[in-house]
Amino acid sequence: MTALSTAPGHVADRAAARPAKRSPAGLRGTPGQWSGRFVVALVLLAFGLFFAIPIVWLLLATTKSPTDLIQNNPFSFGSLDGFAVNWNALFAFQDGAVVGWLGNSALYSVVALAITLVVSVPAGYALALTEFRLRRALLVTTLVVMLIPNTALVLPVFLELNTVGLIGSPLAVILPFSFFPFGVYLTYIYFSTSIPRDLLAAARIDGCTEFGVFTRIALPLATPVVALVAFFSFVQNWNNYFLPFVMLPASDQYPMQVGLTSLLASTPAFNPSSAGAASVQLPTLALATIMSVLPVLIVFLFSQRFLVSGMTAGGTKE
Amino acid sequence: MTATVPDVEATAAAGVTPRLGRSPRRPGRASVRRSPVKNRMGYLFVSGYTVLMLVFGVFPALYALVLSVTTIDGSFAGFDNFAKVLGDYRFLPAVGHVAVYLVIWLVSLLVLVVLLALVVHAIRIRWLSNASRFIFYIPGALAGASSVMLWLFVLDPSVSPVGWLLEAFGFESFVQTINPANLPVVFTVIAFWTGAGGWIVIMYGALNNIPEEVMEAAKIDGANAVQTAVRIQLPMMKKWIAYMGIMSLAAGTQLFVEPQLLSQASNAVVANDYSLNQLAYLYAFQQNDFNGSAAISILLLVIALALSAFFVARGGLFEKD
Amino acid sequence: MVQAPERTHSPRRRFRSLALLSGAAAIALLASGCAGGSSSASNGEFGFPETEQQADSTITVWVDNTRVAAADAFKAANPDVPIDVVTYDGSANGSNSFQTKIQLFDKAKKGWPDVVWSTQTNDAAWASQTSPGSQPFAAQLDGGLVDSELIDGFTAGSLDPCTVDGKVYCLRNDLAQNVLWYDKTLFDQFGYTLPTTWEEYQELGEKVATEHPGYIIGAAGDAWTPEIYMWASKCQAGDVTAVREITVDTTSEECQRMADLLDTSIANGSITTESVFSPSFVQKYAGKVLAMPGPVWYSGAIFNSPDSLNVPAGQIGAATPPTWDGEDVVTGNVGGGTWYISSHSANLASAKKFVEFAATSDEYQVELNPGLPAFAAAGEKWVAKQADSGYFAGDLDALTDSASLVWSGWGSPTFSQEAVWAKTVTPVITSGGTVSDTLEEWGQAIKDQAQVNGYKVG
Repeated sequence: MTALSTAPGHVADRAAARPAKRSPAGLRGTPGQWSGRFVVALVLLAFGLFFAIPIVWLLLATTKSPTDLIQNNPFSFGSLDGFAVNWNALFAFQDGAVVGWLGNSALYSVVALAITLVVSVPAGYALALTEFRLRRALLVTTLVVMLIPNTALVLPVFLELNTVGLIGSPLAVILPFSFFPFGVYLTYIYFSTSIPRDLLAAARIDGCTEFGVFTRIALPLATPVVALVAFFSFVQNWNNYFLPFVMLPASDQYPMQVGLTSLLASTPAFNPSSAGAASVQLPTLALATIMSVLPVLIVFLFSQRFLVSGMTAGGTKE
Repeated sequence: MTATVPDVEATAAAGVTPRLGRSPRRPGRASVRRSPVKNRMGYLFVSGYTVLMLVFGVFPALYALVLSVTTIDGSFAGFDNFAKVLGDYRFLPAVGHVAVYLVIWLVSLLVLVVLLALVVHAIRIRWLSNASRFIFYIPGALAGASSVMLWLFVLDPSVSPVGWLLEAFGFESFVQTINPANLPVVFTVIAFWTGAGGWIVIMYGALNNIPEEVMEAAKIDGANAVQTAVRIQLPMMKKWIAYMGIMSLAAGTQLFVEPQLLSQASNAVVANDYSLNQLAYLYAFQQNDFNGSAAISILLLVIALALSAFFVARGGLFEKD
Repeated sequence: MVQAPERTHSPRRRFRSLALLSGAAAIALLASGCAGGSSSASNGEFGFPETEQQADSTITVWVDNTRVAAADAFKAANPDVPIDVVTYDGSANGSNSFQTKIQLFDKAKKGWPDVVWSTQTNDAAWASQTSPGSQPFAAQLDGGLVDSELIDGFTAGSLDPCTVDGKVYCLRNDLAQNVLWYDKTLFDQFGYTLPTTWEEYQELGEKVATEHPGYIIGAAGDAWTPEIYMWASKCQAGDVTAVREITVDTTSEECQRMADLLDTSIANGSITTESVFSPSFVQKYAGKVLAMPGPVWYSGAIFNSPDSLNVPAGQIGAATPPTWDGEDVVTGNVGGGTWYISSHSANLASAKKFVEFAATSDEYQVELNPGLPAFAAAGEKWVAKQADSGYFAGDLDALTDSASLVWSGWGSPTFSQEAVWAKTVTPVITSGGTVSDTLEEWGQAIKDQAQVNGYKVG
């Protein structure tokens, strides 16, 4: 942990753009710096454990038999065979329904994500950097809509989609997903705090059209926030349970989250009456959980790459 | 948060290249001249979003508003629905539960997320910074049914990976861990575990966007890490923090997922009418009373809006500077 | 009210379709006594307003994971009846999915499934009632839709949860009455005799506590504890006297005596306050369950389950539940699933065919049902089959004998008694309090819950 430093700024990130500035103290920090580093290390370690322990337990759970899960040390490793058994049990559930659920989740989340980006990023930009009469009204309305409990919106949205005959079509899930006020606010705050106006003004003087300013100047600078919005939109769609549950009448259209409740309801621990030949065991449920989380983590790792390329790095790509 | 920002203009090499962002917070800037072109662009840019918002936000909200003041057969009911839900024996306890939870949750989230974001941002080793953000985030990927089983085990001292910790608190069984007195803290732990990582990522992004010149200037002025955080980083994150405050308020007042999850895991020992939002859900889908349900939702909205006003004002959320 | 079909199925319509159509039409006509289905709001000939019937249209069937087998068996037996199977969580674990979805369909005025499986016994109470602007979801079954002989073939009392205001709205899939499960090997080893009264049961507990501490004779940590103990004691926790009227009296002698029994046994450790499905229960009590009053499905869910107690073959036996000295034997009931036909169905003939098959046929009930069939004839065969399996010690007559002994003074309202108990009593007894002290509070909680669900409390 010697290289932990309380000096702010990402030297490594910026190394590409300019020679890194070594902190004057170098590696031999003053006592003050060392104690600072120690505190930082301690905080990191404590919270790292807090976030990681349950996940580690869950990963290990997928390798155990139901009995091992209860009888053995929580941090013991089961066996690869145990993992294989759980794997096979999961994919045997309702003739491999899990594959279909994952596919549905991917379809709904990705299409909704595309629509979200196309509508949200320009909206956030316009709210932050252009003048038009309804700007403030739109900001306030967006905020109000974000604060309404979802419970209140289920019935009206269901009736709306029912009126246009969309219930049971993928669009019944994708369209409501595409409305992502959270993302609009993220882009709005980003553009209003991180984009130097002089830059936009300069571009206008250079004869860029308003549209050109957005596509050539603002968007390249906005990579981090686009990555953020994309990621959060994806996660929210991927993890949404109630909307798909209400909008989709057929089980082969379920996304993973709704499927998971079916799995949960097939485990004797949560539904004693399901005890029987077709029941699901807890380690299998743990594996299903891991499967449902993996895509989100992959998307996370992917979007992180864009997140750290801050505005200053983007600015050089003229 | 009344820290004075050191005079950036004086210390930073002014405007060397376009990529040197000036401090974007310059009050009293002359408003941008309107031109018909820009006006039209603005409308065009927000049009898609506006349509979606009307269809999936505004109209449904208005419908809920109408529901809350009408009877089940559609005649005007005035405030009858509100009177009915206020008189429900489950209502006041639920208000109490949510209020206690909200205080614990909001304070711990705001403080810890900002702290952790600053800490992670201060790490110089790139892989470590990435890895810690990743680890903090992982739980955010778990939702709904996937966490029911996890918490059933984690909160049961006899099988929990942190059993020693629970036993240190004197809990011997799952039901003791989730006794009503502990619930606000338990829900805060669950909500923080699943929700903090996402905010840390957002705050980290915000910190990354503070121009390096500003930070350098502070260092040259002899500010240490804590002073830099308080005087520069925090004020520059004001909008982000305000936004997080509002979103967490909304999430807190609409507490639903965590109690629902524990209700399932504990086979109803944690009641499914713990929070107001659960009550709204029960009204709609257990009692078939969508009007009462809408009334609770509208009440929640009013509370959330009133509380948000504070953050909007303090964070300058609508300011276009 | 023309009902658009939910999803256009792609039926394999070939030359047989014509013959099929006329065949199904003939069945429908036979079943309906040749009256053309009127789609007006007036009641059809089965006692509810019918939608226009479309012979051989596809029916949508909602089942939970365990009941997929029933749908598969039906398909195998009736390849010419087009059905569309949808799996859902069966409304288990208080999820209320069934009611949630139906209420939305009611508002949309379309989209209802034709047949629904439910894990709960609380659904008939709402499904039999009109909701604003919509007729009751559940079709009345004993108004001519299902043959009366078939309905009479169900075990006495088993259709109580399906019966509202004297009309039957669902068919029971499996029985869930309580029996006294016991470990014969342990009884022989300890030299104890099986208790036949609750008094003896309590004494047994006291003996076990002193002579073999750590062994248990029951569990009271589950949400269905009142259904096992209080119900069997004729405690009036919820007597549904009319469609929306309920009588609650939890301070009666009947409740008090069982509360005392529980308190004594919990205090001496012979009854545990762990839930039988909690991970720690298995840790602590595998091999230590001497006896346990509980529903019939405990056999497969707890004793003969590798993930629970996993008791070896030849040890576990079933006895008739204990009774209070000098009283008739009555018992309680925990769950037991139900089958519903939608009153909105455009193909009542096929829906009826499916439900009758699932609830009464040997192909499903005897061969595949994990629970004890509620249909008496199938039930007997099922018990015989279980007895032949060699798992149980002694005969299983107790299962058949106790099937019709469920006390009828405990109704099935729209709300869950289990949730009320779990919320008010469970936390008290797990933290050292007594059931006796919470009886009143428990009763009040039931009354409150009944009131917000629209019941007049007596």
